Amino acid sequence: MKRILTLALCLALVVSLFFTLSPSFVFAETKETKAEEKEQSEEKEEEKKEDSKEDKKDSEEKEEDKEPEGPGANGKEIPLDKIKIGFVHVSDPSDMGYTYNHNRGTEKMMKDLGIEKDQVINKFNIPEGAECETAVRELAEQGCNIIFATSFGFEDYVLKVAKDFPNIEFCHATGFKAADSELKNVHNYFGLIYQARYLSGIAAGLKTESNLIGYVCAMPFAECIEGYDAFYLGAKSVNPDVKMMVMYTNSWNDPTKEAQVAQALIDKGCDVIGQHCDSTAAATTAEANGVFHVGYNSDMREAAPEASLTSAVWDWSIYLEYAVKRVSENKAIRVDWSKGLKDGAVDISPLNEDIVAEGTDKAIEEAREKILEGDWDVFTGPLKDNKGEIVVKEGETFTEKRSAPTFEHILEGIEVVE
Amino acid sequence: MTFDFIKLFIAAVFAGTPLLLGTLGEILTEKSGNLNLGVEGMMYMGAVSGLAGAYYTEIWFNGAGLPAVFAALIFSFLAGCLGALIYAFLTISMRADQNVTGLTLTIFGTGFAKFFGELMGQKAGGYVKVAAKTARSFGKLKLGGLSKIPVAGELFFHYNFMVYLALILALALAFFLNRTRKGLNLQAVGEDPSTADSAGIPVARYRYIATVLGGGICGLGGMYMSMVNQKGIWVPECVSGYGWLAVALVIFSTWNPLRALYCGLIFGGFTILRMYVPVPGLATQLYDMLPYVATILVLIATSIRQSKEHRQPAGCGHNYFREDR
Repeated sequence: MKRILTLALCLALVVSLFFTLSPSFVFAETKETKAEEKEQSEEKEEEKKEDSKEDKKDSEEKEEDKEPEGPGANGKEIPLDKIKIGFVHVSDPSDMGYTYNHNRGTEKMMKDLGIEKDQVINKFNIPEGAECETAVRELAEQGCNIIFATSFGFEDYVLKVAKDFPNIEFCHATGFKAADSELKNVHNYFGLIYQARYLSGIAAGLKTESNLIGYVCAMPFAECIEGYDAFYLGAKSVNPDVKMMVMYTNSWNDPTKEAQVAQALIDKGCDVIGQHCDSTAAATTAEANGVFHVGYNSDMREAAPEASLTSAVWDWSIYLEYAVKRVSENKAIRVDWSKGLKDGAVDISPLNEDIVAEGTDKAIEEAREKILEGDWDVFTGPLKDNKGEIVVKEGETFTEKRSAPTFEHILEGIEVVE
Repeated sequence: MTFDFIKLFIAAVFAGTPLLLGTLGEILTEKSGNLNLGVEGMMYMGAVSGLAGAYYTEIWFNGAGLPAVFAALIFSFLAGCLGALIYAFLTISMRADQNVTGLTLTIFGTGFAKFFGELMGQKAGGYVKVAAKTARSFGKLKLGGLSKIPVAGELFFHYNFMVYLALILALALAFFLNRTRKGLNLQAVGEDPSTADSAGIPVARYRYIATVLGGGICGLGGMYMSMVNQKGIWVPECVSGYGWLAVALVIFSTWNPLRALYCGLIFGGFTILRMYVPVPGLATQLYDMLPYVATILVLIATSIRQSKEHRQPAGCGHNYFREDR
């Protein structure tokens, strides 16, 4: 009895500790940061307003299709069978997710351009730390003409090494610092993945019966937030009553937590689960509970044949082929590359015909046409955030200025559980 | 602040079961006087071997369903035993430092699992996935009328068979340690090996057997992570720190298998609490700290009370060498 009492006491202590701590520290902090964020976002919005005006003028001139002039960093033409290419990856293809998919892009690029295996050096499982600098430097010293670094945290190290090797082209995915770095041999690339997510959201919106979609999300960052906003808008476009619940795992790759979060969302009544995290855990959990799932990065129909409706996927080969060709022709590479559905850089994987709702393919094709025509994009106003403030005005369309995602407003109808 | 207690309880049981298995293995190990910090490694070895056992039983012997389930159980147990055997040989026979050996085993086991997991994936050309029939065998059981009782049926008679296996193992371990001569001998070895040695108890043999069997139970816990949590798909990060949580849970349950039952439930509950009982504005990271904070509090409480019953076996962490006396 005494033991149970002490245990209960401990528990009470923990709980009380939490509640006393939370208002004083956490709340204060979050309030402050929120206030700061708000200020920042307001500033950004003002910038955006000006930008969007400029945008309209620009779009008429179709500036975005122009390629930069001048020679590339290597300073001479390199035939495709002589070019050497380096890759730095944060994981390896066994993750069946981001790195697997990027590596598939590499393989496709090699096949299309006729590049041999010994011309490509892959560095897998490089942490986002000082090891990255070593890896990039090694690639540079091994004579690579162009080096791709594929993870967000690599950027600073790439910039550091690029300074020492002005004759080598460096390309960094998901980053945002190349344009301001004044280094001509550093470039960022990403894509309009939100367009693909919008299409995959349509499949979710048509399938849900409880009108509640769950979303297993890795981190509270712009890349993820923009992703689920687009996914939700896609679902809402075909199902105006739909609501969405988002839960973070606070990790890019923690399959156990992903399974638990998916289970919790299903327990709260969600009957379609979307995801922005690395493993198949959300898909298999959905399948075991008899609900449905929309994936990311790779086609998950094999992992969960009775649950996976479709996935938003990348085709990195589009950029890789572009960049490698430019190097070989001795032409400069764009400092910020970002393409979407139109160029095939992003798309959705084939629909799981046996389980998608009737009319899904038709609805998705219609939306695809709309995006491809070019007059309309996913973030077209009026859009409200979940506090009721208008974030994109009627008649305006939010477009990314740079390749890295910046849309950070959580839209109306989305509830973040934390 | 509304939440569904039944669903929270069920999720806590699912989250707590692999922890409970890892903890039971580690309790058995520590009762013999070996502090094996390699639980994470042994769980990883069990995770990949259990999955491989089931997967190849299906392919080679066409044994989807029950045979694959038995293969998963046997191979994960054996893999855990293998990991613990390396540890036992190094610490008992070679007298290597226990902490260092345990940490090394963690690194070894993690690498072992990732290497063979990737190898299997490449051979399979993509996903390593067991048949739907096997995966369903690890799903929720339907115990006829029992599962249909309102509330209680949902709370107690609706889990997969691994949950009941873990429960039986805990009861059996408690019985063995406290009610059998061999169990008492084992505790003597863990508390004071030289006294046990004088009494004619074969210290090395007891330590070997307890450590190896303990490792096997940890391996079962790992198999739970790959077969139940990931539904029979190999995912490289599947154990994700649960081995360390199990080590903490040993302390939390004060080396008592019966207490590990409800402590496992509490720990499991802590890991998923934030998903079911959201407090607006409270950082989720603070929630994730809960199991560790609880462990520290228990450590403080037990050290204040100076209880002889609820502390680590006195011989734990020290290698026994007869000539040292």
